[in-house]
Amino acid sequence: MATEHHKEEWGSKLGVILAVAGSAVGLGNFLRFPGQAAANGGGAFLIPYFTALVLLGIPIGWSEWAMGRYGGQKGLHSAPGIMGIIGKGRIARYLGVIGVLIPLGVSFYYVFIEAWTFGYFLKYLTGGIGIDNAASIADQGATAAAYYQDFTGTREDGVLLTSGLNLTLISWITVFVINVFFVFRGLSKGIEKFVSFAMPVMAVAALIVLIRVLTLGTPDPAVPEQSVLNGLGYMWNPNYSKLADFQTWMAAAGQIFFSLSVGFGVIINYSSYMKKRDDVVLSGLAAASTNELFEVGFGGMITLTAAVVFLGLSGTTAAVATGSFGLGFTTLPVVFAQMGIWENFIGAVWFFMLFLAAITSSLSMYQPAVAFIKEGMGWSHTKSTGAVVAMAVIGTSLTLWFTKDGAFWSTLDFWVGTLLIFVMAAVQIIFFSWVFGIERGWKEMHAGASIRIPPVFKIVMKYIAPAYLIIIFIGFCVQNLRPSLAAAWSTTGSRMAMLMIVATALVLIAVVAVGERRWRAAGIDLDDQFPDKENQL
Amino acid sequence: MTIGGWVTMFLSLSVVWGGTFWCYKKVLTTPQEEKVPSGYGA
Repeated sequence: MATEHHKEEWGSKLGVILAVAGSAVGLGNFLRFPGQAAANGGGAFLIPYFTALVLLGIPIGWSEWAMGRYGGQKGLHSAPGIMGIIGKGRIARYLGVIGVLIPLGVSFYYVFIEAWTFGYFLKYLTGGIGIDNAASIADQGATAAAYYQDFTGTREDGVLLTSGLNLTLISWITVFVINVFFVFRGLSKGIEKFVSFAMPVMAVAALIVLIRVLTLGTPDPAVPEQSVLNGLGYMWNPNYSKLADFQTWMAAAGQIFFSLSVGFGVIINYSSYMKKRDDVVLSGLAAASTNELFEVGFGGMITLTAAVVFLGLSGTTAAVATGSFGLGFTTLPVVFAQMGIWENFIGAVWFFMLFLAAITSSLSMYQPAVAFIKEGMGWSHTKSTGAVVAMAVIGTSLTLWFTKDGAFWSTLDFWVGTLLIFVMAAVQIIFFSWVFGIERGWKEMHAGASIRIPPVFKIVMKYIAPAYLIIIFIGFCVQNLRPSLAAAWSTTGSRMAMLMIVATALVLIAVVAVGERRWRAAGIDLDDQFPDKENQL
Repeated sequence: MTIGGWVTMFLSLSVVWGGTFWCYKKVLTTPQEEKVPSGYGA
């Protein structure tokens, strides 16, 4: 843009792959996936899971990579700008606001959760969270649950901000400053440098925990059923009867969808900084594979296996029922407490790994908003980052205040971090296949590609993926919409969250209105009227 | 752990480990375009 002095781009082709993979790999890979699999047929769950990966996750991902790179060549890097080009007009441009609202809105609470992982990591470095392994398992669970409630402030609104400088606040300030620092440094010098270090370290940490878990054997010979083999069996033994249940297919599609971060607004922004002939097909496949490695290869092997070894089958089933956060922050600390001298080491490695998984995701949440403000308002990188930081401070301050029962952040999570992702993904694949055109999109995807996508994927992208998406979206709404609508206005926290969503959306819409005038005045082909014209701004 | 469990586990792990290894091998062995000098297209 007029205010920039150089064009931002990735330093290497590996950089953008690791950045997208880092964005996708998050807490859900280690905590949500195993619970979903165990509850929906164990090993049999992997059939609908991989089906959804091939028919939904990877094709929509490819379209997003291709749209981003195409928009970047036209001189725009934000979802509204790029969607306007792909969708050839104002409707798509304004719908593209969702692609900035999602990552920014999710960052309001995600950085808070990221602070939990960092805080727990610090606690394990300095002696653990105070679980007495001589007590009964029930008492240990109660200690872990009480610590979690105190740490996250779920008992009362305002408790974290009115009780002096506590570990939660210190952790939040630390992780927020780290995030701002790397986003401020920019794409190549900040985000790319950090993920190039963090992703390999996260893999090593996961490997350390995996090896420890797989070598646990049968720690208590008096309880032979609590063994590694039974733990693996709990996760992997297939129950094929579950395949006849529509819920299993929906759960698998949902898991793939949220895990890969398609429709999140990040891939479209990250890929816009690629060069014209950078390989989006292989990059998309490599990023998705990396996510699957962490999810199936590590998440599927570690979490529930360790739980069964120390808590037994019934204890693990009860733990899975508490959800991802219960499993990660209450159950696993109890599991670690049974590891004796390994407790603090494995606990620290585990939470450090979760912290890296979280921060590589949160970094990607600020970047789309920074890019949008920059090109929409024509501001410098520093000023744009400052504006996003200001919005993030307001959003996360509200998250830190309205902690009771997690009402604020769970409302944001449902409406922004779940529902809008479906909408954005549907908007993207429909505009790409039907407005931009599948033939043109196909050609665009293969520009510079070192591998060819099988032609059957034209049908998948034009018909199957949109239909698949709409079916699971309807199923999701039938299951969740009514209770979520009721909950959205039920507490002060949830009401504030809804207002925050609306306020943020209005600000972003105003930026599109300003940006649209600027882009047009600058001669950008923002409605894609001249497909061969590249923008040289 | 049943035989079905072993089979699904090994098949799934083969897919994700093998797929990731293949992708990164391909990425690292495919020549990269020369980096555009800073300032180009600004």
